[in-house]
Amino acid sequence: MPALRVIKRDEPWRGGALAIVLGALAFSLGAGILMLAAQGKSPVQGAVVLWQGTFGNVFALEDALRKSVPIFLCSLGVAVAFRMQVWNIGAEGQFALGAIGATWAALSFPGLPKIVLLPVMFLAALLAGGLWALIPAWLKLKLKVSEIITTLMLNYIAILLLDYLVFGVWKDPTSFGFPMTPEFSPAAILGPIGGTRLHWGFAVCLVAGVGLWAFFRFTLLGYELKAGGEGARVARYAGLPYGFLVGFVMTVSGALAGLAGCVETSAVLGRLQPSLMAGYGYTAIVVAWLARLEPLPIALASFLLAVLRVGVENLQLEMQIPAAYGMIMEGLILLSVLAGQFFQTFRLGRREG
Amino acid sequence: MDQLPARPPRLALPDAEPVVALRGLTKRFGKVLANDQITLEIRPGRIKALLGENGAGKSTLMGMLAGRLVPDAGRMEVHGREVRFASAREAIAAGIGMVYQHFMLVEAMTVAENVLLGQEPGFFLSPRDMERRVAELAAQYRLDIDPRARVGDLSMGEKQLVEILKLLARDSRVLIFDEPTAVLTPAETFRLFEALWSMTAQGKAVVFISHKLEEVLAIADEIAVLRSGKVEAELRPEEIGSKADLARIMIGKDVLLEVDRTAAQVREQVLDIRNLNGLGLTDINLDLQRGEVLAVVGVAGNGQKALVEAVCGLTQPPKDTIFILGKPWREYYADPDWKHTLSYIPEDRLGLATMRNKNLVDNMLLTTRKGFRSGPLLQKARAVADTRELVRKYDIKPGRVRVLAWQLSGGNLQKAVLARELYREPRLIVAEQPTQGLDVAATEEVWRRLLDARDMAGILLVTGDLNEALQLADRVAVMYRGRVVAQFPVTDKGQVDKIGLYMAGVTDF
Amino acid sequence: MDWGILVALLAAAVQSGTPILFATLGEMLSEKGGVLNLGVEGMMSVAALAAFLTAYFTGSPWLGFAAGGLAGACLALLHGVICVGFLGNQVVSGLALTILGLGLTHFFGTPYIGLAAPGFSKFAVPGLADLPVLGGILFRQDALVYVSYVLPVAFWFFLQRTRPGLAVRAVGEMPAAVAAAGLHPLRLRLFAAVAGGFLVGLGGAYLSLAYTHLWTNGLSAGRGWIAVALVIFAFWRPGRAVAGAYLFGGVMAFQLRLQATGTNLPSSLLLMLPYALTVLVLALSAWRGRGADAPAALGVNIEPEG
Repeated sequence: MPALRVIKRDEPWRGGALAIVLGALAFSLGAGILMLAAQGKSPVQGAVVLWQGTFGNVFALEDALRKSVPIFLCSLGVAVAFRMQVWNIGAEGQFALGAIGATWAALSFPGLPKIVLLPVMFLAALLAGGLWALIPAWLKLKLKVSEIITTLMLNYIAILLLDYLVFGVWKDPTSFGFPMTPEFSPAAILGPIGGTRLHWGFAVCLVAGVGLWAFFRFTLLGYELKAGGEGARVARYAGLPYGFLVGFVMTVSGALAGLAGCVETSAVLGRLQPSLMAGYGYTAIVVAWLARLEPLPIALASFLLAVLRVGVENLQLEMQIPAAYGMIMEGLILLSVLAGQFFQTFRLGRREG
Repeated sequence: MDQLPARPPRLALPDAEPVVALRGLTKRFGKVLANDQITLEIRPGRIKALLGENGAGKSTLMGMLAGRLVPDAGRMEVHGREVRFASAREAIAAGIGMVYQHFMLVEAMTVAENVLLGQEPGFFLSPRDMERRVAELAAQYRLDIDPRARVGDLSMGEKQLVEILKLLARDSRVLIFDEPTAVLTPAETFRLFEALWSMTAQGKAVVFISHKLEEVLAIADEIAVLRSGKVEAELRPEEIGSKADLARIMIGKDVLLEVDRTAAQVREQVLDIRNLNGLGLTDINLDLQRGEVLAVVGVAGNGQKALVEAVCGLTQPPKDTIFILGKPWREYYADPDWKHTLSYIPEDRLGLATMRNKNLVDNMLLTTRKGFRSGPLLQKARAVADTRELVRKYDIKPGRVRVLAWQLSGGNLQKAVLARELYREPRLIVAEQPTQGLDVAATEEVWRRLLDARDMAGILLVTGDLNEALQLADRVAVMYRGRVVAQFPVTDKGQVDKIGLYMAGVTDF
Repeated sequence: MDWGILVALLAAAVQSGTPILFATLGEMLSEKGGVLNLGVEGMMSVAALAAFLTAYFTGSPWLGFAAGGLAGACLALLHGVICVGFLGNQVVSGLALTILGLGLTHFFGTPYIGLAAPGFSKFAVPGLADLPVLGGILFRQDALVYVSYVLPVAFWFFLQRTRPGLAVRAVGEMPAAVAAAGLHPLRLRLFAAVAGGFLVGLGGAYLSLAYTHLWTNGLSAGRGWIAVALVIFAFWRPGRAVAGAYLFGGVMAFQLRLQATGTNLPSSLLLMLPYALTVLVLALSAWRGRGADAPAALGVNIEPEG
């Protein structure tokens, strides 16, 4: 019989959050690097390449900054839903729908001036992403269907929809059979900020992040959403419009992911193609959980995981390691954070007597 | 309390060796010393009552004996040998079993499956075999229960019998009962007592935890009185002069809980329930005026929950049956004001009335938020200030507003909920078991506040504590199986004496 | 009406539904014990790879089958430890497991894409295979399908007629009762999760050893998620799980045939069928309002006592 027992803390361990995340990152990186040996690659070389592809390289960091934009926006959306215990796993699909919406606008109105076209694209993306999330929300409210599976299924359907469009009606006739839409007109492109290598998507992130933070802090609806996270019973007790809140939260969640899709398509790719789908929607979930669903930590965590992605790309380039390696890391990080969070509520003590 | 049956002659065991001896047991929870150096002996064939008010440490003590809690100091002996239990499992293996207030039964399984869980004969199971075994065991102790029944379909009294069977199936030599009559009708209580006598006649030792003097006097062979974590006295029933004496030992005060109540001014009607049929209720007709307290009493599970949920908007009643502040239910709940309306103080303090992981300000806003809005925004600063004021006025400990709900003690949490709801200056208050689990001081304070609230509201008090009902109410309504079987002013002594019978469904005499 | 085509289609439905059946029963066992495991997709993937590699290197498909089960059990153990031991949120842990599992599969499996391993092939059961209609559908399959016929019965029997089965059912409904009965709720939960994971792994193994004999990426194609949905559709009963699994098997088989015969419908839309059907099936089950069949303590972690 072990001499240790589990004791619940009187107050949650405040400093623990950061320690846990750092510990989880260290553990996962270590385990991941060692795993390279199983494929006959040198872990030491892997670590070096990883470093060179991330913090050892300014261009890599810039690339990471760019990649953190879609992750951040999707993650904001995921966090908003998770706070109400609405498990929106559909960020990936909502991201795709947003891209589809924006593409529709870009391809339908190429002649409009930028100052009109871009807002129209944004609007189309917000609507598309929001509506795509509203379907599982409606099913949850009206029929009590678990949103976990419906949002997931819609992910698969959304990706197939995107494939269908770029292989079919939207295919660029001049692309030699490659599945992609024609290039967007210059008016539909979200360009770089001034002379930097960062694009205006950052401004979008800033507005979205600050806006959401202020919304939760200062508005009545923001308070009601926080309270709604306690569940339907408490919501009924307090007279909270639970159904409305769930629908609202899912729509906002989907809209944010849709916005991410629009930004990524417009600023980074300049056209719609299947390579848009890089799993940002799933990384967003990892980020949201790491960041305990709060905007500022989400920004930091988005950057960190974007850095990881860029590093993994370098591994792919230099050591021919498949891109899915990054998923291993993300999975391990999330699992170790989950394990570590145990220690925020409990501690180990000695058994007396 | 009505006539309790006469005790059959006690098994004439000489002062036998104690089955269990507790020596100097101590247990702390954070800063609270729940048990302080407690020494007790439990003998076979006897019923020992552990008497004490809420918070005296009875459940904690038995929790240690039953293996659910680990003592911080002291020792426990079974048949003279020291034992240490790391889990309930080890205690059960040593022959000590506990029947808790909250039954640990799997609703979806049958009686036989529940009883024999962990005791099954062999690897392969035959339901018919299991049912036969359980039927035999029940017959041996004269317990009336069908082994094939699904536990979810049973009444509270029957579920308790299943819990007892569980212990008997394990050859428990010491059976501990934690407030077993809280959920029973008087008839079921009688059956329980018979079962306890039957068990002690066969040599079992029984420990009966209670805070009800009447029952303890009726059933116990030995009484141990606990107060503030210590054993205040150990007596036999014959040694006790009067109930008042016992109460004094229990509480340390001369008098049972009583409160001064002056009549309040009765004004307009705030609640009108007419011919309510549905939601498990039948023919409910009740009305409540501002300034009066109407107590709804009855054994838990006879429709009180359904009534409260309907009145408080959690479930929808049929049309034109409930009128709140003059408005039909649907109209009232379409867009209720936050102030001068209905306030609900639920039984479930931490799970329903408050958000456990949020601080007092957020919890304050839960039902008062509309009072702090300006447009789409929330006036946070004013909310914090008002919360501070309430914490001071109601003396809610600890005195900070940033503390989380789950960190408050039961009494302080209830005060916080009360503070919030009274802040809304309601016209109608629905209070459900408002002093359950609170100690004397907190109970008195809550009673005082509720009585003071009559100035602005009519109070629907739903409680299982008859003393509380009789102390606070102007009128009493008794519920049984979804009906109101009696309704009378509290001054009608004749009716008051019959409450126990009404609670058991006896309406014709 | 050409019965031959119908029989062939139904036979394909059975074959295609078999991995789903294994996975559904596996998840059902885990959930009966109270552990929601959303990592099924990742587990099936890893198990498929483990089974493939084992069969590839040892030459024995049966060893591969067992290895697949073991791989599933290992991943389920990880999930179980996180949820039962560390009280991790069951939903998030399962998702993490899927991400991890899919990543592991791609990472370790890429060098083997396109290679073939010894697997299971169809054979006719003497006598039974000659039954009219049923013979062609049920008794001209590979060995693992025949194993799967026994599975639902064994599942029911285990849960309803054995001591550990009763304990598992109890811990999924009310862990406190299990502790009070002197058993170990945590160990039982872990057992249910791991045993369930083993079954899920068997389903994954089927994909790379019987469904095809080649290794490719993305073999599971969302079947894991369908299995999770089917547990709900089946109201947590093995009988209905069989119906659901074969239904989806049929849809997937039908979809393949349609693509093969060169229809005008674009393949992307066809591929949507199983996923859309899952949503539909869930909506219909929920509409019938049988949520009460879920184990009462499903997804709720057991907190340690003071």
